[in-house]
Amino acid sequence: MMAIRELKVCLLGDTGVGKSSIVCRFVQDHFDHNISPTIGASFMTKTVPCGNELHKFLIWDTAGQERFHSLAPMYYRGSAAAVIVYDITKQDSFHTLKKWVKELKEHGPENIVMAIAGNKCDLSDIREVPLKDAKEYAESIGALVVETSAKNAINIEELFQGISRQIPPLDPHENGNSGGIKLGNQSLQAGRRCC
Amino acid sequence: MEDTPERTPSSESIQPPGLAREPEVTSPGDSEGCARPLDPAPKKLCGYLSKFGGKGPIKGWKCRWFFYDERKCHLYYSRTAQDANPLDSIDLSSATFDCKADAEEEGTFEIKTPSRVITLKAATRQVMLYWLQQLQMKRWEFHNSPPALPATPAAALTENGPTLHLKLEQEEAELEEFLCPVKTPPGLVGTAAALQPVPAMPSALQNISLKHLGTEIQNTMYNIRGNKQAQATAHGPPVEESSQSAEPQRGEQPLISDPSIPEKEPEDPPKSAPRSCVPSGPMQKPKRQSNTFPFFSDGLARSRTAQEKVVALEQQVLMLTKELKSQKELVIILHKALEAAQQEKRASSAYLAATEDRDRLELVRHKVRQIAELNQRVEALEQDRERLVHEAGLREQQVQALQQHVQLLMDKNQAKQQVICKLSQKLTEDLAQPQPADATNGDFLSQQERLEHLKDDMEAYRTQNRFLNSEIHQVTKIWRKVAEKEKALLTKCAYLQARNCQVESKYLAGLRRLQEAAGAEPGDFPELLQQLVQEALQWEAGEASDSVGLSPVSEYDDYGFLTVPDYEVEDLKLLAKIQALEVRSHHLLALEAVERPLRDRWATLTELMPSAELKQLLRAGVPREHRPRVWRWLVHRRVQHLHSSGCYQELLARGRACEHPAARQIELDLNRTFPTNKHFTCPTSSFPDKLRRVLLAFSWQNPTIGYCQGLNRLAAIALLVLEDEESAFWCLVAIVETILPAEYYSKTLTASQVDQRVLQDLLSEKLPRLTAHLGQRHVDLSLITFNWFLVIFADSLISDILLRVWDAFLYEGTKVVFRYALAIFKYNEEAILRLQDSLEIYQYLRFFTKTICDSRKLTSIAFNDMNPFPMKQLRQLRAAHRERLEAELRELELLKAEYLERRASRGRAVPEGCVSEDEGEGDS
Repeated sequence: MMAIRELKVCLLGDTGVGKSSIVCRFVQDHFDHNISPTIGASFMTKTVPCGNELHKFLIWDTAGQERFHSLAPMYYRGSAAAVIVYDITKQDSFHTLKKWVKELKEHGPENIVMAIAGNKCDLSDIREVPLKDAKEYAESIGALVVETSAKNAINIEELFQGISRQIPPLDPHENGNSGGIKLGNQSLQAGRRCC
Repeated sequence: MEDTPERTPSSESIQPPGLAREPEVTSPGDSEGCARPLDPAPKKLCGYLSKFGGKGPIKGWKCRWFFYDERKCHLYYSRTAQDANPLDSIDLSSATFDCKADAEEEGTFEIKTPSRVITLKAATRQVMLYWLQQLQMKRWEFHNSPPALPATPAAALTENGPTLHLKLEQEEAELEEFLCPVKTPPGLVGTAAALQPVPAMPSALQNISLKHLGTEIQNTMYNIRGNKQAQATAHGPPVEESSQSAEPQRGEQPLISDPSIPEKEPEDPPKSAPRSCVPSGPMQKPKRQSNTFPFFSDGLARSRTAQEKVVALEQQVLMLTKELKSQKELVIILHKALEAAQQEKRASSAYLAATEDRDRLELVRHKVRQIAELNQRVEALEQDRERLVHEAGLREQQVQALQQHVQLLMDKNQAKQQVICKLSQKLTEDLAQPQPADATNGDFLSQQERLEHLKDDMEAYRTQNRFLNSEIHQVTKIWRKVAEKEKALLTKCAYLQARNCQVESKYLAGLRRLQEAAGAEPGDFPELLQQLVQEALQWEAGEASDSVGLSPVSEYDDYGFLTVPDYEVEDLKLLAKIQALEVRSHHLLALEAVERPLRDRWATLTELMPSAELKQLLRAGVPREHRPRVWRWLVHRRVQHLHSSGCYQELLARGRACEHPAARQIELDLNRTFPTNKHFTCPTSSFPDKLRRVLLAFSWQNPTIGYCQGLNRLAAIALLVLEDEESAFWCLVAIVETILPAEYYSKTLTASQVDQRVLQDLLSEKLPRLTAHLGQRHVDLSLITFNWFLVIFADSLISDILLRVWDAFLYEGTKVVFRYALAIFKYNEEAILRLQDSLEIYQYLRFFTKTICDSRKLTSIAFNDMNPFPMKQLRQLRAAHRERLEAELRELELLKAEYLERRASRGRAVPEGCVSEDEGEGDS
């Protein structure tokens, strides 16, 4: 049986950029124009194959309004990856994205994989954030970057596949620290349960 | 030969009218006496009545044979008692009865059914009252009989006899209070009435029912066939034989001729012999003979007592004497005629015998002499006539004198008439003023007649009044019984529906477990399971159409939320279906047992005042129809110090003048508020506009908070209940500014985070086993419960339970949220303890609040099992955790400051670093 790794992923970003829609498209392959605004957080799971492993994403979707930033540590603590979303039609959301990157750099877990998603690329005719700017910024912070459209199902799968590829594999060296051992135990237990 | 036809008419004319009725009245009495021992069962209700109907020229009274069918509670009618097929029937189970006191003809009453009104007439008022009382009793019996009849009629009669007998006695006792029961009129109702001939009608054609011509033809053919059979076989049933033999005689009466009479007389002795063996013989014999020989029938009828015999014989003697006199007169007349004829003969023969002219001349002279004598006689008669005329003149004078005398007498009586008129006027106030009394004898008589009529009318109205009182009383009782039965049926129906929902829910739950287990098994099993799941989900469409008609549960609940959430994933669809069925099941079971008494108690609370009773009622939940006014009262209690007239309008005006910074966020969230509620998703709904105004007004009201995501939920709930936007606005103010601690929705959400830590402590205290279980698996409950507290469960609970929580929350305050949060975990404690993996636990916690459908159980846990729960403890915990959180926040600020300093020092060395440093400062 393939080993299953549980990967905690949190979504961050400004309000109304489409964080919940991205999760909904990825997990349920469904788009709803009027998803209820996330209060606190929302939790979904999906398992995807990646090489010799199965990656089970535990996705925490957060509230985007600024005053909810103080709750973010609850959600990104212990995360393997973070998807920071902005809206290509709103320059303000790109500024908020930079704030989140700083937050993660300062207080987030070490070695967290960061992915930048420029959502609503189906509205490129009213674009405010050039793709070039996003790419340059992502390169500067060593993050994955992709423009997506939850509405038209563009680049959603690619986004999470990229994250899977970025996740460092488990090696004998990392098994030495306690965090690694914990994750390993969880994976082994999960694998054993599936068998 | 010449004597016989003259005898019959004279006999009929001689017979007194009073005597003609006596045989008809007496002989049925005999038959009834004979019938009673033979028929111990309850008497059948049947008899001849006149029915008003028809159209055009044939409109009028028609004679019909009516009989009652107890099994169906129908009154059937046909043209005669012998007809095989009834013309039509009247359903009495839902009919009412009315006797017409003001009807033109006596004995008229009505049967009113939902579809038509039937006017019937009985022979007398007594018979009418008998029919009305019997119909009332039959209707009552029908409504009180058990719904399921036994298989055999005999068993039914045996089992129901005592019960029906007791009920009948009660019914009779009650009827006596309104109207004295009428005894059975002899001969006019009951089985014996069938033996009576059809009452005479002016026209036979008018009695035929053109409306049911087919049935009439069938009945005629049946009667003809029956008649032939009766002629063929001499040993038919007694009743049928007698009835059939009666008809041919009636038909033959018009055809009676002289030769037929001698033929019938010899037949009398042989006919009477076989009939004497049959019990109905005496009944038939008098009836048949009464048409042709009233004398003999009268004699036979009165042979019971010696005294009656003597009277009968005397009457016979008188009749014979009268007949003898008439016969003598006839003989005298005949003799005179004979003598005249003989004289004529002698004269003719004498004239012919004369041989000489002389003798002939002498005969002529004789004739001339006779003529002269006749002339003299004529003159004498004329003189007599003149004398009679003279006498007539004298008598006329006497008459005039008598008239004058009468005039004087009338003048004397005029005063008496006036007094009588005044008295009659008082008796009948409704009548108009009587005409001035005329000084004539006829007018006096008319006054007397009027008095008699008025008395009769009074008596008739009194009788009608008593009958209508009994009718109203009985109909009221029937209505109450029907209402009770309906209520019982509704309760049973709700119970059965609840059971059905539970069974279906268990089936779907079983399918879901199989679906989960099927993932590990290869083969055809998963395909079969998937097919079953799809079939189960397809039931929803059919069931929805059924449930619309059967139960009040519909696609949306009372407040517009979808009862079955629309999930995309298949396993979630099954889960949603299970939840909806469980919710409906609990709703149906609680509808009668719990909600009705609560509704009654709330109806009596017109004035609301704080009290222990009110607290208990609010914890039990406010009924939907009372919730708006209760919430308005609760909100007013909390914000009356903030409330001022025109405040809301002023805030709206300010919002129109300039845009609030929060307007963008509010606009963004409007369309995303309660996407599963029709009031917020329907394009034509006014709720989104109201919500916008409420949230904007609140932003101006409370600049420190402005708008925070989550307030849209609170305001939306307030709108759904209160509907008025200003009331909803003050409800929002009450919650944020008076119930919840300060800074619950501030920039840092400080108070909200404090409450999460308080909840963790309370969980450790109240549910230690669960807390340890979650701790071992590193499950942070605040990831789930933060949402609960921020929107007071608006995203988590179904509306029935949610609004019950709010009922208590608005009255008792924030402690209620903690009570229910703990109760929710207690409600599902065993299920959570069975889960071993943190991922499974998070998956379960994601939806488990939506599965709670037993609100009574949850409420009981919240307010009983969680005790003791003092407010003092809550305050202390809040204060302690607030200090700790603020300390952590200060430490975080220090760390941020140090980080910024380090970056600033590093930035001086590189020119590009200066640019990034400026950009960073701008963002912060």
